[in-house]
Amino acid sequence: MERWSRGDSVLHRRHAAVKILVALALLISIGTLTSHSALAGALYLALLVASASAARLPVFGILLGAAAVLPFAICFAAVSVLAGEPAQAVLLIVRTWLSAQVAILLIATTPMPRLIAGLEALHAPEFLLQVMQFLYRYLTVLAEEAGTMLQAGSARAGTLRTLRFREAAAMAGVLFARSYARAQAIHQAMIARGFEGRLPAIRQAPFRLADAGFGAGAVAVVIAVRAVFRWA
Amino acid sequence: MHIPDGFLSVPVWCAMDGAALPSVAYLARRVQRESSGHKVPLMGVMGAFVFAAQMINFPVGNGTSGHLVGGALLSFTLGPAPASIVMTAILITQALVFQDGGLLALGANVFNMAIAGVLAGYLPYALLRGRGAGVFLGGVLSVMVSAVFALGELILSGVPMPAMALTISLALFGASAVCEGAITLAVTKAMKRIEPGFMRRPEDIGGKRALVVALASVALAAGGVFVTSAWPDGIQKLVLHSGSSSGRTAWLTAPMADYKLRWLATPWMTKTAAGLTGILLVYVLCVAIGRALSVSRPAAGREGA
Repeated sequence: MERWSRGDSVLHRRHAAVKILVALALLISIGTLTSHSALAGALYLALLVASASAARLPVFGILLGAAAVLPFAICFAAVSVLAGEPAQAVLLIVRTWLSAQVAILLIATTPMPRLIAGLEALHAPEFLLQVMQFLYRYLTVLAEEAGTMLQAGSARAGTLRTLRFREAAAMAGVLFARSYARAQAIHQAMIARGFEGRLPAIRQAPFRLADAGFGAGAVAVVIAVRAVFRWA
Repeated sequence: MHIPDGFLSVPVWCAMDGAALPSVAYLARRVQRESSGHKVPLMGVMGAFVFAAQMINFPVGNGTSGHLVGGALLSFTLGPAPASIVMTAILITQALVFQDGGLLALGANVFNMAIAGVLAGYLPYALLRGRGAGVFLGGVLSVMVSAVFALGELILSGVPMPAMALTISLALFGASAVCEGAITLAVTKAMKRIEPGFMRRPEDIGGKRALVVALASVALAAGGVFVTSAWPDGIQKLVLHSGSSSGRTAWLTAPMADYKLRWLATPWMTKTAAGLTGILLVYVLCVAIGRALSVSRPAAGREGA
């Protein structure tokens, strides 16, 4: 999905804050779908597919990626069917699937740094966003470290057998120690470069007229669909 | 335990987002002030550590495996307020990058796991002065409290949850809570062998303040019971709704059968049970909030990083 977010299209170029707001409007509308608004649901699906193809993203890949949340929904849907509420079951699956598509479309058209800048523009706590930036930056680094450790462990054990509980705990402990040491090294390097507790402000993308137009138009369409097809 | 979008009703996610947003903003500002910004790299890397540690599978018997959830472990090593912020950052990243948990449901997930879960995990650790039992109980409680909150929010949202489904999910969550306790204990032991200083010394829970908070929570709980007994419709409907098919499935849940049927038979039992559950939830919440408020001075722990 990170690869998708580096693409270039009308949707990719829009300001992240606007895209977040449109996504929230869409999510609220989808979240309030009832079993009487099947047509609105179908229209939202069409809208999402149209946006994905406008953003030159693989439509099938997004539909499939969103289906990853379905096992959870299907469990609860099965319970609903057993409780004698099949309509509720269908509704749960549809709402969850459409909502996941919205989230994927947002992240697939917005690279993480821009997304964080968008959240900053919407006044999310600065400190939290800084922690998120570090988390995102070192996610793959530490995952690689853990992967290397697991590989080294299985190489020494001679087979690819599963870990025992104690061994797994020891491995996690070592991973913690290495992460801690890495964090300290990063912090020292930052201090050496003049860090005094404040990171440079997140660079904001310019807010253009097209962004405002896109935001207003998209939210209007989302609300219109929900309002017109309330009972259809 | 990550609630996706589409499950929670509007009042529920609105309320949870309304509860989580100011809490996170307050905690973020507090941690930023206390560390004058110097904790950012450590907290970010520790968040990445939790992701990486989840790649390590712990065998928990019967060929199944579990992994570290991490909320309790973070609160033992970073302190409760920074741990809440790191967990929030983890949950946002999971929701955005991995579609694990919804965006509108983010407030609910943050409240369940990053605020209530972390504080409930830290409480036994602080009360038992960092002993092994406290570490284990902390891991158990951090998962169990988040699970109970998540189930409560789903039921309040009208997701059909017959008594049998509720019993099964509570049992499953109980099992995974015990796993988290055992994993947290084993990992902290391994960490202590490497460097005992990784674990923060638990802070004192202020005597007088704790008493005031406890009295306030009892008063709040009592008020809640009065309110629910004066206007029982909502909660009664809720319990009747959630137990609607227990009559049919009672024979499947043999140990609980008697209990459930009695629940339905007498309305006052329904009320009492609902009230007790409410008290328990409110109590956990109040203790957790009280803990956060009573530790106002910056703790003299590991600030070196």
